[in-house]
Formats: sequence, C-alpha cells, structure tokens
Amino acid sequence: MNLIDILSQAFSLPFMWRAAIVLGTLALAAGLIGVFVNLRGLEFMSDGLTHAVFPGVAAGFVFAGQGGVVVGAILAAALATVVLTLLSRRRVTSDAAIAIILTSMFSVGVIIVSRSHDVTASLEQLLFGHLFTVTVTEVITTALVCLLALALVLLTLRGQVFTSFDERGAAASGYSTLGLTLVLNIAIACVVVAASIAVGNLLVLAVLIVPGAISRMWSRGLGGLFAGALIFALAAAALGLLGSFTVSVGADVAIPGGAAIAVVFVAGYMLSLLFRAVVPDKIRSVDA
Amino acid sequence: MTETRLLNLDDVAFAYDGEVALDHVTMHIDPGQAVALIGPNGSGKSTMLKGVLGVIPLVDGEMTVFRPKKGRGQSGRIGYLPQDDEIDADFPITLRQVVTMGRYRRLGWFRFPSTDDRQAVADALEVTGLTARANQRFGTLSGGQQQRGLLARALATKPSLLLLDEPFNALDQPNRDALIATLNDLKSRGVGILLTTHDLDLAREVCDSVLLVNGTQIAFGPREEVLTLSNLQQAFRDVQVEVDEHTVVLPGHEH
Repeated sequence: MNLIDILSQAFSLPFMWRAAIVLGTLALAAGLIGVFVNLRGLEFMSDGLTHAVFPGVAAGFVFAGQGGVVVGAILAAALATVVLTLLSRRRVTSDAAIAIILTSMFSVGVIIVSRSHDVTASLEQLLFGHLFTVTVTEVITTALVCLLALALVLLTLRGQVFTSFDERGAAASGYSTLGLTLVLNIAIACVVVAASIAVGNLLVLAVLIVPGAISRMWSRGLGGLFAGALIFALAAAALGLLGSFTVSVGADVAIPGGAAIAVVFVAGYMLSLLFRAVVPDKIRSVDA
Repeated sequence: MTETRLLNLDDVAFAYDGEVALDHVTMHIDPGQAVALIGPNGSGKSTMLKGVLGVIPLVDGEMTVFRPKKGRGQSGRIGYLPQDDEIDADFPITLRQVVTMGRYRRLGWFRFPSTDDRQAVADALEVTGLTARANQRFGTLSGGQQQRGLLARALATKPSLLLLDEPFNALDQPNRDALIATLNDLKSRGVGILLTTHDLDLAREVCDSVLLVNGTQIAFGPREEVLTLSNLQQAFRDVQVEVDEHTVVLPGHEH
C-alpha cells in the first residue's frame, strides 16, 4: 500500500476528515503555545492544568453526556487558570500550589466519573481521547477553542516574547506582565481542553511540550523557533494519524489514535536528542 | 521644578511586597545629569529603580517622571538595563532580536519595524560595538557582550532617562572603559542617567551627583558633598569601602 492509496482510502472516510481537522488546528495551537510553555518553564503548570481540567470533563460527561464534555472542560480550565496564575504570583511556592491542585482536582474527577453508569468506558474515553469518534459538534468546538488560543497568543506576541525573555525588562518597558501571563495561561488551558478531546487528558502534555522543546534545541533565533515548532507539530500529527490508520486498517490491529500520536511526538523528541548529540555545534542553528 | 527636569522625587517611599523598602527620597535628575545610587546590599537600590519604572508602587510622597509631550514622541522614554543574571542564557534569540525589543513599545502589537526602527537598532549596536555580533544567538555571547547587548536594547528606545542596575558588574577593563565612554557621550547629548553601583571609583568617572541610601535616604547632592566619611559610615555599617584606592574599614565594623 503506497502513500497515495493510504491517503485516498483514509480521506474517503468522514471520520478521518473530522480527526484531521481536530488534529490540524490542535497542532498549530499546541506548536505555537508550546514554544512559550518551554520558554517560560511552564511544563509543570500545564500538567497541573490537565489534571484540573479532568473533573470538569468528567462532570460535563456525567451531567450532560458527550456534549457536556467541552463545556465542563472549559469551565474547569478557566477556574484553574485564574487560581494557578494568582497563586504563582503570590509566591506560594508555585510547585507546591500546583501539586495540591493537581491531586485534589484529579481525585474529584475520579469520584465524579464513578457516579456514571458505564465507568470504564467513559474513563477510558476521557483519559485517552476519542479521536476517531469525534462528533461534528466536537470538531467545531475544538477547532474554535484552538483558534481562540492561537488568537490570544498571536495578538499579544511581542509582549509574550519580551516577558518570556526578561520579565522585569518587559514590566519596565510598560507591559502588564500579569495580564500577559494570564492570557498565556488561558491559551494553554484552551489547548489542554482541545487536546483532552482529541488525544486524551493523559496524553495532552506530549502534544503541548514536545514541539517547543525540540525546536528550542535547534534554533538560534525566534523565527526558527516558531517555524520549527509549528512544522514539527503538524508533521508529527499527520504521521501519527496516518500511521494509526494504516496499522489499524492494513494490519487489522486497532490502535488508539491519541496514543499513536503521542508516541510519534515522543519518538521525535528522542530522535532530536540523539541527532543533537551527534551533530556538531557548527552545523546546528542555521536559521535565525 | 524646572520645565525640563527628567525626574523629580519629593519625600517618596516605595514598597516591595507590601513593606516599605525605601523612604524619604528627595532627589532629581536634569538632562545631561548622571546620578550614582550607592548603598549596601538590600539597601533599596533596585527598589528605587523599580519604583521609578513604575513596576512597584509608590506609597508616599510625590514623583514626577518626564513624559513625552505631544509632537515630541521621539524622546521621553525610559531605558532600563537589568542585571545580567536575570536573563536566561539558553533563550533562542539573536542579539539583533533582543535589541529590537527596545522598539517594541513604539511598534505596538502589530506594526512591522520601519526603517527608523531598524536604524535605531543598528545605531545601538554600533555604539556598543556589537554590530558584527548582531546575528549571533544571545546566549553564545560573553558576559560582557550580553551586558552591552542589553545596554544596546535600552539605547534603542532612544531614552531621555536611562536606568542601569549594576552596569559595571561582569565587565572587564576594556568593556568598562567603553561603557564609561558611552555613558559620558549620552550625558553630553542630554540623557539623564541613574545607575546603581558598589564601586565608588567608577561612579566618579560618570556621575556628578550621588544618592546614598540604606533603607532610607542618607544624602543626595554633588558627589564630593555626599561622599563624606560620616555619610558613608551611616550607609555602610559593618562593611569595607574603597575610597581613592584606600580600603577603609569603617568604624562599627569591630564588634
């Protein structure tokens, strides 16, 4: 089976189109926002957000069925974002604050899900996503949530770059760094919500963190940093999607799309680490 | 207060995290005037700079910072040089991109850099002797070059008031001399300067006035009038001070 066959076969199926749209917008948003997660060292905070979003997802599912998932996730994410941003400003050691929120929210989520009739099925869907069974409504909502995240960061891009590089300098030149941080955290929350649906709550971090981390390894300036992260995110998402489709159809082994994509992202990171160890310094960092 | 005064503080107090960190500051900076802000560690020097920048709140007194008047938009900005150790050396950004940050506020959120903006960046790189390094990754520059790069960023704003936090730290002799020359040149073009330093000798080469603090203002005025033994004694308890190449262990050091 060659690539053309795979593509034509895959995209004759409506569910593949839906998966591709969800993943495409998610990859763009995660690629851009992941760069800032990396630059500002917000990996652990993002992890805290994914856990905090979980009870929202669970409650939405239990009270309003599949359609309630996005709404629940957005509400939980909004609440958690504001709390986490303010806590980290108040100089409660932010790691401790995140750890407390992370575990308490996640257990609340599990308790909520346990009230549901079909516990195992719903838990699995919430934790590992349901890329190939997303509904048209979910496609539209996740795409909108991703576009919102992209818009928030693109509209504040200069301030975000300045604040990431040198927060005090940014404040000194008149930027509201608290406002910018809040906007960034809301964008991260949006990506977490969208990714929870596509690749699942447990696998969000791969999509959010890997592209920025890889691109940082190789770029010398800002242009390469953003371009690299976006290209990697799109390419890895495409590879994961087509890979899981090919194996599922060709070898008749059903592979969950979300997990396949997370594996491709992480494998990309490993390869990048390996190449970086091998390639001499001079050849690296070509573009600015 | 004269029309052109860049900075005027009248019995000002600044608070940091809800606590007053520096109070009773009464000082001013005129165009072309350089003031050295001197005091021991934790005496409120950085607080003072942040207060003037408006990053931390003023809780008492009155402060007037020069603001650009309509139609004179090219001057009136405050340039700020942070301490080098606050910068993430591993950040993927070129020197030119760092210096361009000095233009961000003028550019607003969306406008692309114009010829003027690019010229200001080129000029700032030229003055700091970094033109050849413009496309290098910032983190690969030496400590002294990074410091000069951040100075170039401050200069790219075309400031009329320049605030520098320990600008002479991490600089070797040639870089020090170059910085002193740059600062003196800025002064001659009417830029006001406020810099923190531990080194009284360096302060002397650039600054005509001194603001001596230790949690509160001890003295402000012409250098010779402020740097008296009794004033220094009040500011630096338990520390050594270098005055005219002599190390003076101030009374109060012995316990």
